[in-house]
Amino acid sequence: MSGGPAVRISIESSCEKQVQEVGLDGLETYVPPLSMSQNLAKLAQRIDFSQGSDSEENGVDSEPRDGEWGKQEPEEEEVKFQPSLWPWDSVRNNLRSSLTEMCVLYDVLSVVKEKKYMALDPVSQDPTAGKTPQVFQLMSKKKSLATAAQLLLKGAEKLSKSVAENQENRRQRDFNTELLRLRSQWKLRKVGDKILGDLSYRSAGSLFPHHGTFEVIKNTDIDLDKKIPEDYCPLDVQIPSDLEGSAYIKVSIQKQSPDIGDLGTVNLFRRPQKNKPGTPWHIKLEAAQNVLLCKEIFAQLSREAVQIKSQIPHIVVKNQIISQPFPGLQLSISLCHCTGDKKINRSSPEKPKPDDHLYVLEHNLHQMIREFHKQQLSSVVMPHPASAPFGHKRLRLAGPMAYDKAEISSLQQSEGLLEKIIKQAKHIFLRSRTARTIDCLASRIEDPQIQAHWSNINDVYESSVKVLITSHGYEQICKSIQLQLNIGVEQIRVVHRDGRAITLSHQEQELQDFLLSQVPRLRL
Amino acid sequence: MEAPPVTVMPVTGGTINMMEYLLQGSVLDLALESLLHRLRGLCDNMEPETFTDHELVYLLKGQQGNPFILRARRALSHPNAPWHLRYLGQPEVGDKNRYALVRNCVDVAASHSLPEFLNEMGFRMDHEFVTSGHIFRKGAMKVVVCNVSRVQLPGNTENTERMSNSHLVELSVLAPAGQDTVSEDMRSFAEQLKPLIHLEKIDPSKQRH
Repeated sequence: MSGGPAVRISIESSCEKQVQEVGLDGLETYVPPLSMSQNLAKLAQRIDFSQGSDSEENGVDSEPRDGEWGKQEPEEEEVKFQPSLWPWDSVRNNLRSSLTEMCVLYDVLSVVKEKKYMALDPVSQDPTAGKTPQVFQLMSKKKSLATAAQLLLKGAEKLSKSVAENQENRRQRDFNTELLRLRSQWKLRKVGDKILGDLSYRSAGSLFPHHGTFEVIKNTDIDLDKKIPEDYCPLDVQIPSDLEGSAYIKVSIQKQSPDIGDLGTVNLFRRPQKNKPGTPWHIKLEAAQNVLLCKEIFAQLSREAVQIKSQIPHIVVKNQIISQPFPGLQLSISLCHCTGDKKINRSSPEKPKPDDHLYVLEHNLHQMIREFHKQQLSSVVMPHPASAPFGHKRLRLAGPMAYDKAEISSLQQSEGLLEKIIKQAKHIFLRSRTARTIDCLASRIEDPQIQAHWSNINDVYESSVKVLITSHGYEQICKSIQLQLNIGVEQIRVVHRDGRAITLSHQEQELQDFLLSQVPRLRL
Repeated sequence: MEAPPVTVMPVTGGTINMMEYLLQGSVLDLALESLLHRLRGLCDNMEPETFTDHELVYLLKGQQGNPFILRARRALSHPNAPWHLRYLGQPEVGDKNRYALVRNCVDVAASHSLPEFLNEMGFRMDHEFVTSGHIFRKGAMKVVVCNVSRVQLPGNTENTERMSNSHLVELSVLAPAGQDTVSEDMRSFAEQLKPLIHLEKIDPSKQRH
């Protein structure tokens, strides 16, 4: 641009108009050029009106494109600082940039289409940047909640329908639901096409050889025409014939009957259970299990009564065991089993006697047999090493440690059921007689007052009572006499206030004499 | 003083003629839990009893072909318990329909000097192993579920390696000779354990040595 005359350059368009048609004689027909207004319109169409003014355009364009267009940078910079030369400059730049962008986009899409070097992955949307209007969000949420609510309602409807059906069925009592209830309480197993159950105590440690198997049968004798009775149950159980009815063990202490031949079958039962055909199965099963337990108790007692040698032998007659705890006294343990078939009237000729059945001893018998069952299941029996036979741990030591007979017999169970119950009966009798004696004396003697304070906490074999002999009005002057009586199984031990101890036998007269001897001591 | 009379006839009767009725099976370790659950439900209601035992098998080689085998077992989990010596006879060949294997069995408790005693008598230890597992009980039936481990160094019961990843299950009853109802009870019990485990009689003489 330096020196030399200025050269006039004239710029004119190439005047190359598009050829519209070439005639047959070679004459070219040109497309008429666009008029000014047409040209302007054409150019205006190309303007990107979404962009702002020229300066903004430049700024926006240059910043993001800096990195990409390294080559274009100097050109761009030049463009930045010069005022726009011709009005279409910015437009041209915009068009160029948009072309570039389109080319890039086209490239990217073609590469992505191949899926070899690039893949498209959705990007988690930032929920706060959602440009969707609030109303639209509300509507979409409402719709989705409505769908969810509908599903839940459908499910709830189904549930309520089934519950209602269940309620109805409970009245009708489906066989299968009854069977499920039965199975939750009793042991059942299926043998062939029969369902059998076990009501014995064998799995709880009993060694009684009764099988205790009951059968579950379907109750089909229902007349569908008539109304179903209230207590109808589609499930019925058939218990073994010897366990039918109900039983209990009667333990009583009486004055000795003069004639042994008087003993007969004790058939007194105070709790007759009539086994109607409509009794529900759980009552039947429980009654049968109780009968089985009573039979086991009685079998154990009678076996011991026969085997154990005692000074006064025990008598086992039919369903009764009779023994003598004290002279003149008789303890009778009998198994009363009522099958419900016979009439109650004809078996007990005498009037119902005053109830001398000792409930406590019956309960203790049940407790003791269960204790015995538990011992069978204790882990003391389990063999270590595992190949050894079952048996008490200490008995296995008998061989290697060379125990003699005395040591072995000390390891065996010392007392049987019968001995224990006789001891308990003796204690109960002695205690009641002592109480009677003290009360008798207290009511007879007015001058020094005799008071008895019984201890609440007792043992099955021992009780204690504190007897106070006081003189009314003179408590401060003369010391009251305090006697502590420990009532054991066969003897009464008396401990004075000063520590002297005397042992009295079971004789009633001895206790009475002793107390009477204490009374004058106060008067002194 | 004359010498006390010595009987030359062998002692018979008493507990000598006990027979062992046996059924055996095996279960993979994966199925062990379900088997233990099942046994817990079927057997007597007790706390599950585990054990670890060390068994030594002694042989007495005589002039005849078959050596005499005695099994001595001690409890590693209960060091104060006496040793247990066991003789098992040949399985009885009788009723083919009998479900369980029946063989003569003699059990004796012994003190802790048993291995030395057997060595002095002329027995030689053939092999030893350690078993550990659970014992269950149903009436007179005993169910033992155990895994067998090999003892690598003789006498060292600490480092043992399991021989397989399965457990051996044995159902056994000790009863006097002649009671065949026992095998019926065992059969019905084994039925209740199917298909978890198939208990059957496995004749030890037919095993390869």
